[in-house]
Amino acid sequence: MSLAEKIIKFFASIKLAAFTILAIGVVSAVGTITEAKYNDADMANKLVYHSPWMYAVLGLLIIQLVAVMIDRWPWKQHHAGFVLAHIGIIILLIGSWVTQRYGIDGSIAFGIGEARNMVLVKDRDLIVFASLDGTEMRAIYDAPADFVRQPPTAEKPLIVPLGGDELRIVDHHQFAFRDAQINASEDPNDAPAIRFQLENPNVNMTEWLRLDRSRKRSELDLGPAKVVLSPEVLPPSGQNEVVLVVKPGQSTLDYLIYNKDKSLRKKGQVAQAETIDTGWMGLKFRLLRYLPHAEEKVSYQPMSYFTPVTTSAAKFVFNGREHWVALNQPLKLYMKDRAYVVIYGNRQLPLGFALNLKEFRMDKYQGTNRAATYESDVTTPDGQAVTISMNEPLKYAGFTFYQSSFEQDDSGRPTVSVLSVNKDPGRWIKYLGSFLIVLGSVVLFWFKRVKWLKKGSAV
Amino acid sequence: MKLLGVLLLALFSSVSLADIGRPLENLAIQDAGRVKPLGTFAQESLQLIYGKKTFEGKSATEVVFTWLLIPDHWIKQPVVEIRHHGLKEALNITSPGKYFSPEELFGNPRLGLILQELQNQRTRQEKLNPYYQAVARLENQLALFRAIFTGVALRLVPDPATDTWKAVPDLDGPMREAFQRISKGFVDSISNSPVGSKPKPSAELQAAVDDFIAQARSLAPEKYGDNTKLKMELHLNHFHPFKWAWVCYLIAFLCMVAAMGWGSRAADRGGWIFLLVGFALHTYGMALRSYISGRPPVSNMYETVIWVPWGVLLFAMILERVQKNKMLTSCAAVVAIFCLILTDLAPTVLDKSLHPLEPVLRSTFWLSTHVLIITISYAAFFLAFALGDLVLFYYLKDEQKYARQIQSATQSIYRSIQIGVVLLAFGIILGGIWADYSWGRFWGWDPKETWALIALLGYLALLHCKLVGLVRGFGMAAGSIVAFALVIMAWYGVNMVLGAGLHTYGFGAGGVEYVTAFVVAHLLYVTYVSAVRYPRSKIQSK
Repeated sequence: MSLAEKIIKFFASIKLAAFTILAIGVVSAVGTITEAKYNDADMANKLVYHSPWMYAVLGLLIIQLVAVMIDRWPWKQHHAGFVLAHIGIIILLIGSWVTQRYGIDGSIAFGIGEARNMVLVKDRDLIVFASLDGTEMRAIYDAPADFVRQPPTAEKPLIVPLGGDELRIVDHHQFAFRDAQINASEDPNDAPAIRFQLENPNVNMTEWLRLDRSRKRSELDLGPAKVVLSPEVLPPSGQNEVVLVVKPGQSTLDYLIYNKDKSLRKKGQVAQAETIDTGWMGLKFRLLRYLPHAEEKVSYQPMSYFTPVTTSAAKFVFNGREHWVALNQPLKLYMKDRAYVVIYGNRQLPLGFALNLKEFRMDKYQGTNRAATYESDVTTPDGQAVTISMNEPLKYAGFTFYQSSFEQDDSGRPTVSVLSVNKDPGRWIKYLGSFLIVLGSVVLFWFKRVKWLKKGSAV
Repeated sequence: MKLLGVLLLALFSSVSLADIGRPLENLAIQDAGRVKPLGTFAQESLQLIYGKKTFEGKSATEVVFTWLLIPDHWIKQPVVEIRHHGLKEALNITSPGKYFSPEELFGNPRLGLILQELQNQRTRQEKLNPYYQAVARLENQLALFRAIFTGVALRLVPDPATDTWKAVPDLDGPMREAFQRISKGFVDSISNSPVGSKPKPSAELQAAVDDFIAQARSLAPEKYGDNTKLKMELHLNHFHPFKWAWVCYLIAFLCMVAAMGWGSRAADRGGWIFLLVGFALHTYGMALRSYISGRPPVSNMYETVIWVPWGVLLFAMILERVQKNKMLTSCAAVVAIFCLILTDLAPTVLDKSLHPLEPVLRSTFWLSTHVLIITISYAAFFLAFALGDLVLFYYLKDEQKYARQIQSATQSIYRSIQIGVVLLAFGIILGGIWADYSWGRFWGWDPKETWALIALLGYLALLHCKLVGLVRGFGMAAGSIVAFALVIMAWYGVNMVLGAGLHTYGFGAGGVEYVTAFVVAHLLYVTYVSAVRYPRSKIQSK
């Protein structure tokens, strides 16, 4: 027996095949446990399903499949099922590799009337824009940032050279809670904030509300009532609401209480520690604190697993100062004569055209707030109007757009439609592989069955 | 034959036993996203609040309706079930037992704080651990109780103007009067019944209900729903087809054992008749659920626990015709009895209420095909598992004496596993096609699909080992039991162990401890029989 034959015999061994099959099972099982541990499919993908371990076992499997088919050469009629099923598995794995390598799996989110020409994918990049002459912003650094597989630490930071300056990333939380604390501030440019309590026998809520500098009003909808903070007197919005008006230089706030039918219920002035009886089901509004100038201090609390309100955050060091920055939140760094914008965010890939969202509709199950179906009306660049609904995707320019989810405002009105966007050049390879596997296993067992029946009748 | 007659008699007598709540069950109510009979709503509500379908012999409908009529009485009754000890401690309840009155709970000074903590968990969108699940249940129990006794949950009249039906307190004009006639008829029926006997519904009550339904329907006929479906749902609630099915299977099993023991042909024939009657009832029950919900009967755990034993019986009957192996149907009958009894024993894990589906699950064709095929492959594996248990028992008793039984059962195990493997591979691929069609992703390493694949790999490894003689008769039987643990993980564990998340200390919720015990017991059984057999086989080979 030649060496080549020996090698083929070794890999064609069915005992080894049973081992490989079980190994794939074990690695997959570890993957599902990893996903449950982090409550996040992406972590399982990174740590297990696309890890060297998985690639090694799958590689071994392909070698064995090829070896066993060579070993059985020349094939006879009763080999038909075995050959078809094994070739099917190889083709399926090739198809998966093509999808993995050349496919796109992302999403776009847009409001009604908006257009998008980029797809957001799960991979993350670190991009630094610089304005060295004080005018134009230019990207000077753009690289993939996989902080799960290569976590930056204080000992082994990721260093981004920026000409004369240096940006270091020294820490990273994959999952973290954003924790914002509001403190009194001396800076007269800082916006005012209030802390209040809404209370009746059934409800007891205490919240902060801070006026955003760029916006005219801040509001918080707490179910039984909406609380609005504004620098000016606002008209009613058609909800039970308490409007608080800030006046510069005064220690009290003006308040207006509106009913659902937009009628004014009550108005007056309220100072810190005072209580207003709203009259709705015994609901009392208590102003716990009033800060004419307040600053928001943001910190990130690491979590060991994902929840829908966690975000990833990275710690940057620039010029001796530390900055915690959340995913997709730009960090602005100013020097005397130059400025940088740093973005740690999801990669955006160009679609090559713009998709327009004309309308979004949602049907609910009767008498509930649960969505039963939802759909988006979009227009493509060639003026085609298409409705994308659950299970009825749009195929356009090599991409497929699926209705995936939506976002609602406080009153339950849908505001944003989320489509998942997909390009899968491996699709038909995988379908061919699947078809061969099914055909092969049917043939395999059917032939066995015929043989077995004959044997049975002979006895 | 006589037995069958007795059975049918018992069946009909249970149907004709009318209680006072019976006429009220026919009222249609809008609840949880669909229109259902009040009878169903009452059963589901009592199940949630009290944990049982009846309260001290009173029917759910009677209980729920009297919550509305005499709330002052009911608020003092121990109708709220709290099973979680930690929650009892947190509420500072020292009294023993698990039933408490709503009044006691509403007045509990710690309740507000505990509910606030639950709210904090929710704002962080964390998965709830068993304690918070218990708190969430208590919140639902109290909210539902309040909503019933104030009447706001009883949305009995369609509103032509909006999607939401009108609840009892919002009724006006003729509908209000019609409802008052029902209440009067109900109270009169009770007061006119002899003391100490079960009250019977009066003709006036029945007439008042019929009149209310006719009026409500005339307001918005298209919203009131399909009358036949409502009637069928009530019929399903009262008829208990699955209970009768397992009773038939049990008789069939006993007949078959008798037939094998004494070689009686009559007993064998009787066994088959009862098996077929049970199978017909089983099929009828699934068909009813399917007709009422308008979807194939595999959309939750409860339905699959009914569907899989149906498949087990189907495969067993077919294989028995082909292979002439008498053990198949009796093993399948045991599996079916076990599963169907389980659905009655564990109502909280195996929730039988018909909930509306998530939007993405509403494409019924691909969804139903792939789920039906995957779960039916579990049936083939389940059959192999049951046969494996039996074969190991034979090995334990006397390998030589039962050689013939062992050989034919092993053949059936092999055949079942082959059927299962082909179906599971096909089902997984169809699932990929469905995912691709609905999400644009052929394979996404979703835990449910991954575990189905792991189960498939387990059986594939077993078949490959068989191919080269690494595994023979004994190994096949042992393997069919061990590999079934993977099926249990894919079928149940993904939802209850992984789905609950490792953070929620999943153990202790949803019967995980029982299922784990079941799996571990079988693994120990396999180990024990192997250990006993190993020295014996050594001696033989010498």
